Amino acid sequence: MLAQTLMLRFGEDGEELEELVEVAADNPILPVTSELFWGAITFAALFLLVKYVLLPPVQKTMQERADLLRADLDAADAAREKAGSVATEVSDQLADVRAESAQIIDAARAEAEAERARIVGAVEVEVAAAKAEAEAEISAARQRAMAGVGPAVADLAADAASRVMNRPIEAGAARPVVDRLLNSPN
Amino acid sequence: MELEFPSIDNLVKWPAYFGDGTFYAFNKIALISVLAVLIPTVLFKMAKKDMVPRGVQNIVEGTVEFVEKQVVLSAIGPEGLKYTPLLLSIFLFVFFGNIFEVIPTFQMPANARMANPVILAIVAWVSFIGIGIKAQGLGGFLKSSLFPPGVPTALMPLVSIIEFISTFLLRPFGLAVRLFANMLAGHILLVTFAVLCITLFQPSILAAILPFSFAMLVGLVGFEIMVSLIQAFVFSLLTAVYIKLSLHAH
Repeated sequence: MLAQTLMLRFGEDGEELEELVEVAADNPILPVTSELFWGAITFAALFLLVKYVLLPPVQKTMQERADLLRADLDAADAAREKAGSVATEVSDQLADVRAESAQIIDAARAEAEAERARIVGAVEVEVAAAKAEAEAEISAARQRAMAGVGPAVADLAADAASRVMNRPIEAGAARPVVDRLLNSPN
Repeated sequence: MELEFPSIDNLVKWPAYFGDGTFYAFNKIALISVLAVLIPTVLFKMAKKDMVPRGVQNIVEGTVEFVEKQVVLSAIGPEGLKYTPLLLSIFLFVFFGNIFEVIPTFQMPANARMANPVILAIVAWVSFIGIGIKAQGLGGFLKSSLFPPGVPTALMPLVSIIEFISTFLLRPFGLAVRLFANMLAGHILLVTFAVLCITLFQPSILAAILPFSFAMLVGLVGFEIMVSLIQAFVFSLLTAVYIKLSLHAH
C-alpha cells in the first residue's frame, strides 16, 4: 500500500501509472500490503495475548516465588537474630553459673580448710596427750624397773667384788654406787 | 562449473498460499508472523506454575526476566515495568520472526521483508509519542522534544528542525531499516554460502574448498541465531529508550 501510494503521486496518465505501480510492487525493499496486513494483525494479537493472557500468570508465579524467598530470608534472619540472642542469654547464664560455682568452690575450699585445721588441731592435741601419757608410763615403768633392778645388781656387784677382793662385801655398801651408776645418763 | 545465484526476488518473495492478489494474501512471511504468535503462546501455556521452575517454565520465565531486567529496568527503570507487555511482545515477535531464518523448510526471516519491521517501528513510534503526551502533555512533550534547553535562541529554529527529523522521522526509520537490513543481509549471506556449497559439490578440483565453505555456512547459521536474538534485544531496548526519553522533559 505504501509503495503504491508513493507511485500514484507521480503517475500522470493511466498507462504510465500502471507501469509505475508494477515497478513499485516488484521492489524487494518496499513493504507489501498483504504482509503489512498480516504483520499488523499478528502483532496486535500477540500483544493482546501477552498483556491479558500469557504474561500475568507468569509474573504472578515469579512474584509469588520472590515473596516466598523474601519471607524465607526474613524468617532466616529472624531465626538468626533469635539464635544470637539465645546464645547471648546462654552465655550470660553460663557466666553467672561459672561465677556462682567458683564462689561455691571457694567457700567449700575454705570450709574444708577450716575443718582440716580443726581436725588436725584436735588430732595434734590428742596425739600430744597420748604422747605425754605414754612418756609418763614409760618413765614410771622405767622407775619401777630401776627400782627392781638396783638390789639385784647391788647383790651381784657385791658378790663379784667379794670374789675379786676375796673378802665379804655387804650388798648394802654397794647399793649407793649401783644406784648412782644406774641413774647416770650414760 | 557455473555459479548460479538466484535473483533477489527468488530470495525474498514468496507466492501466496491463498488470497493471491488480495490485501490478505497469505504467503510464507504471513505464516511466519502467525507462528511468531502461536509459538510464544504455546510455550507460555506449557509453562507450569511451580515454585521451582523446570523445562519450558525456565525458558519462559528466563525470557520474561531478561526483558524486565535487561530492557525495561536498564533503560527505563521501575516506572517502566508497566510497559513490559509491549516490550516483551516486540522482543518475542522480532525474535521468532528472525529465527525462522535458520529453521529448515522455512529458511527465511520474516523481518527480511520490510512489512513487519515497518509495523513494529510504527508501534514503537506511536508508543513513545503517546506515552510522552500522556506523561508531559502535548505542549510539554513537543517542547522537550523540539526545543532542547541550553541552545542559543538564534540556533533554535535549526535545532528544532533537526530534532523533529531526528525524533519523529529517523527514530522509526532507523528501527525499521536496522532490523530489515540486518536480517536481509544475513539471509543473503546464508544463501550465498549455501549456493557455493551446492556449486562446489561436484567432481572437480574445486571440491577441495567445499569443507571450508560448508564450515563457513555452519558457522554463519550459528552467527545468525545470535543475530536474531541481538536484533530482538536491540529493537526492544531502543523502543524502551525512546519511551524513557518521552517520559520526562530533558
